[in-house]
Amino acid sequence: MAYLRLVHSAGPSPTPDSSCLEAYDRELDYIFATLRRLGAAPHEIEDLAQDVFVVLRRNWPSLDTTRPLRPYLVGVAFRIVSAHHRRRSREIPHPGLDTADVTASPEGLLQSKESASLLQAALDSLPLSRRAVVVMHELDDIPIADVARKLSITRFGAYARLRKGRKELAAAVRRLSKGGLPR
Amino acid sequence: MTRDPDFDSDLEALVEAGKVVPRLPDVVRARSLARARATVVAAPSRSEPIPIPRRRGLTIALAASIAVAVAGSFAWAALTLRSDRRVETAPPAARAAEPAPLATGDSAEATPTPTVTALAQTTPKPRPTVHSATARESYAAELNLLKRAQVAYAGGDYPDALALVAEHGRRFPAGRLAEEREALRVRTLTRAGRTDEAERAEAAFARRFPRSVLLPRASLDLR
Repeated sequence: MAYLRLVHSAGPSPTPDSSCLEAYDRELDYIFATLRRLGAAPHEIEDLAQDVFVVLRRNWPSLDTTRPLRPYLVGVAFRIVSAHHRRRSREIPHPGLDTADVTASPEGLLQSKESASLLQAALDSLPLSRRAVVVMHELDDIPIADVARKLSITRFGAYARLRKGRKELAAAVRRLSKGGLPR
Repeated sequence: MTRDPDFDSDLEALVEAGKVVPRLPDVVRARSLARARATVVAAPSRSEPIPIPRRRGLTIALAASIAVAVAGSFAWAALTLRSDRRVETAPPAARAAEPAPLATGDSAEATPTPTVTALAQTTPKPRPTVHSATARESYAAELNLLKRAQVAYAGGDYPDALALVAEHGRRFPAGRLAEEREALRVRTLTRAGRTDEAERAEAAFARRFPRSVLLPRASLDLR
């Protein structure tokens, strides 16, 4: 009987909230990096990450946790950043004045040779629609079919954005490497 | 897809380096996790897992009952058509007078012949009654939930108010009191000092209910 009791005294199964928190904790670095890559300003990222968590938690019961979470997270992050940009463009008459996300000058980028900063600066020059495809496919290695699904666009549209985004990214990197001022 | 000619080896290397996800500072990580935990504490979800099979069973039962109701109405319609043909020989005055006794419930035996027709005419009535009863119950549940949230808000118990607001949002995302709920959410977040979230909630509220009479008050609290 004592043996049976021991079997029954196994710990309680994790609640949806606790498993969601664990997943959030596990992917927090990635969420922050993705939000930054998608163009969120550094001082906004914590708030936006919290928004990602809220969405994640709301949809957690219906998520297939056996599949990779990152493609889902980047889709959520894209929508949150898009909505945030729309809101900000309404609230701030001159969004160009918000220069908080300019991480370093081109000269600084060249001198310090921080490739991550250079890539980020180049990504910042891409429109969000194409930047999202480039980030998802090139940096996160998400297959283009999944990219299209997560962004609710056609596969052809995803390829078109990727192609144009690559060109823009390459041009931006060249421009920044030559020391041109980002516009 | 083949690489773009512009995507040269330097850029490849840059992209490869950019794939590395930097580790967050511990302080930022701790702060973000604390915020997430606070959200969970403020509005805990059901502790027990959602019983999907039961919900599926419920859906099947609902679909079956709807199918039975539809089949029943077809059957009644068919019977009505048949009996209409059968009682067409009866004098029109008697047919016109027949629903009244049934409706009042007395002297039903006065018109025994066209019972089927009378029943067929009364059958559609229970459905809207049931529907409106369900709608009333749903509205009452909404109202009750929102009243509790309002009481919690008035008593300064903002986490409780937010939890109830969140529960209302989950149960009645497009309920009749959704506008009131969202306004209360903005005010509660404002009073709780969660200004960023309050601003976001207010923006969402303004987007969803741009002409709401509650909007100025929600905004005023925030300013």
